Amino acid sequence: MTVRTRLLDRDVGRALSAVSAAAKKGLGDPALAELVVIRASQLNHCAFCLDMHLTVARELGVSERQLDLLAAWEEAEGVFDERERAALALTEAVTVVTDGFVPDSVYAAAARRFDEGQLAHLIGLITAINSWNRVMVSRRIEPGGYQP
Amino acid sequence: MTTAQEAPYAPEHSPRLHWAQLAPDVYKAMVRLDAAARQGLDPTLLELVKIRASQLNHCAFCLDMHTKDALAAGESVERIIQLGAWEESRHFYTEKELAAIELTEAVTLITDGFVPDEVYERAAEQFEEAELAQLIAAITVINAWNRFGVSTRMVPGHYKAGQHK
Repeated sequence: MTVRTRLLDRDVGRALSAVSAAAKKGLGDPALAELVVIRASQLNHCAFCLDMHLTVARELGVSERQLDLLAAWEEAEGVFDERERAALALTEAVTVVTDGFVPDSVYAAAARRFDEGQLAHLIGLITAINSWNRVMVSRRIEPGGYQP
Repeated sequence: MTTAQEAPYAPEHSPRLHWAQLAPDVYKAMVRLDAAARQGLDPTLLELVKIRASQLNHCAFCLDMHTKDALAAGESVERIIQLGAWEESRHFYTEKELAAIELTEAVTLITDGFVPDEVYERAAEQFEEAELAQLIAAITVINAWNRFGVSTRMVPGHYKAGQHK
């Protein structure tokens, strides 16, 4: 695999980092944030992002069992609580909007588990990781570049 | 007998939540990101990119905004309408615009599998490296606005051209 370009405008990178940081802070749940960004990165096939966020998740103490079963969270009852499940369902819906909107049932389930401020930041976080996924996948940035 | 013209339109929906007010820090960073990503790109080309991504992501608010902005900037109705079938209406667009539109589709649809080498190479023939990096950023940013618009059901129809510039 060859990297296509490493160029990313400095102001673009800084502003996108600011979007991610603000969203994470407003959500206020770093472990859940990692589950969300890892699931989006799985759907978007972002190798750099998976490598980075699996490392971060392990540093935060997210269990290996959760990381192992994240790709099949719907069938892994007992491994993810209702709040995590609501966030993951919303992550999938917001990530695959080309397939048709965000279903009312998915949104309503998230709105039951998160207050409005948290929900706005959760949507921000899902959007931010989708953005990182796009800039990394499009340029074919290789995994392994992240240093804890 | 009631004609289609006399029948009322469906009622307007409400947004699910006002995300920009609830997450002003995120919104401000998004505005900075948008400004950074558009640097060095042709505004006419950029509106075509934004409209095509918004079509693929079904963002009604974004379509309302960017078609109005494009028309106000002098874009033709024909070129906006034909964007949905650009592969069959290539003679409405320059080769550079076509390469950008094709890249927009690939970057928008990454869940379906990466950005094909031939799509990237066609874009790289039309855009020098720094400009191409900006184009990728701009496609990414409209995808981000689309996600906010769709997930919070932002309401189309009320945007005035130039309102968010």
